Amino acid sequence: MRMTLTRTLVASITTLLVAAFALPVAAADGRGEQLFELCAQCHGSAAEGNQMTLAPAIAGLDEWYVEAQLNYFRNGARGLHPGDTGGMRMYPMSIWLSTDEDVKAVAGYVASLPRANPTPVLEGGDAAKGSAFYLVCATCHGQEGGGDPEKNSPPLRGANDWYLLSSLEKYKAKIRGGSPLNPNAVVMQGTVNILPDAQAMRDVVAHIMTLSE
Amino acid sequence: MIEQFIPAGSTYAGNIDGQIDLIFVLVGFWFILSEAIFFGLIFRFRKKQGQPAEYITGEEKSQKRWITVPHFLVLVCDVFIIWGAINVWYHVKQELPPAQETVRIIGQQWTWTFVHPGPDKQLGTADDIAKVNELHLKVDTTYHFKLEARDVVHSFSVPVFRLKQDAIPGRVITGWFEPTLTGEFDIQCAEMCGIGHGLMGAKLSVESAAEHAAWVASESPLELAAANMPQLAVEE
Repeated sequence: MRMTLTRTLVASITTLLVAAFALPVAAADGRGEQLFELCAQCHGSAAEGNQMTLAPAIAGLDEWYVEAQLNYFRNGARGLHPGDTGGMRMYPMSIWLSTDEDVKAVAGYVASLPRANPTPVLEGGDAAKGSAFYLVCATCHGQEGGGDPEKNSPPLRGANDWYLLSSLEKYKAKIRGGSPLNPNAVVMQGTVNILPDAQAMRDVVAHIMTLSE
Repeated sequence: MIEQFIPAGSTYAGNIDGQIDLIFVLVGFWFILSEAIFFGLIFRFRKKQGQPAEYITGEEKSQKRWITVPHFLVLVCDVFIIWGAINVWYHVKQELPPAQETVRIIGQQWTWTFVHPGPDKQLGTADDIAKVNELHLKVDTTYHFKLEARDVVHSFSVPVFRLKQDAIPGRVITGWFEPTLTGEFDIQCAEMCGIGHGLMGAKLSVESAAEHAAWVASESPLELAAANMPQLAVEE
């Protein structure tokens, strides 16, 4: 009888200890998803993007890229130009992520989501003409637009066409990419000059959207 | 009294504080007096041996006086409060002293953009300096502000100036202030404007003339047209 009581006590204490240590681990595992609740307000619950809120599709982007962009927003390298309406919306959201661990957690969660293949909304782009311009883009972003982490180049395939166009316009107008804290964006600001006008931007975006198919 | 908790940093902050102090004193006086009478009466007419309770209808003149006399006295106090409030409102919102400089303030979800005049001290020219979440002002200078909202209703609130003004999409609202204290202070949005409302803060730097001139000289102008921000026609 006494042996049974001791075994029961040991078993109960062990169970309690395991539960106590397991709880924080479980919470830490779900931290990215928990944090993403705020992001979902604009980017959508599946991170599929929403043009109305100027929030692009981010589902399935590489973790290194999401983390880097969040940090650029947090340190003011992105989202503090008066012409960057979407960026200025993202800047305060990013400073809400107060620790590097939280940034990693939410970036990991976003990367774990299936990549969205948004429906094109832009018209007037000529994909055939755009393919010629894209040869330059392909040196970093890849022939198939899959990106290249070694060159700090994100995937373009699977992005919203309106977001790609607005990004090109911002680079061209020097609204984005002016911070020395983000050398890759500075490179983009120079590279975008291969696109002579607004039509060329639409054409290259139209070509990128063929890569999404 | 309020400046014990937050400094008064504009020429009209004292007027607003004075009005709040007046309301506080008058309302506080009546609150303490009425509570003292209330509890005094409760104590005086507390339960006593052999004294039955009496129902009072409150219809006799001597009873009604307990209501009517304080009522009219409170109304007299209201006259002082309203007179003071109209004066303060007129000074802060209706008067527009001539501007020495003008700044453009644009609220959007969830940041503030401030367009400062450049070295030519004129807003709406090529040397304007646009900053996000940073407003730089020169102390003892009368400023006009041109307040806009890009998306939804915001409210430009500068507690140290005792200033709060709604920003309405589609309208350019003109107001004024004259900073009297140098230092760094908070700017906040005081109108619920979406999920990032609580994070829509900015920093106000009030600088001496020399510091401000140095700041202007150190900043390079942004091409506002390229930044999708049409130049504002400012009437001086």
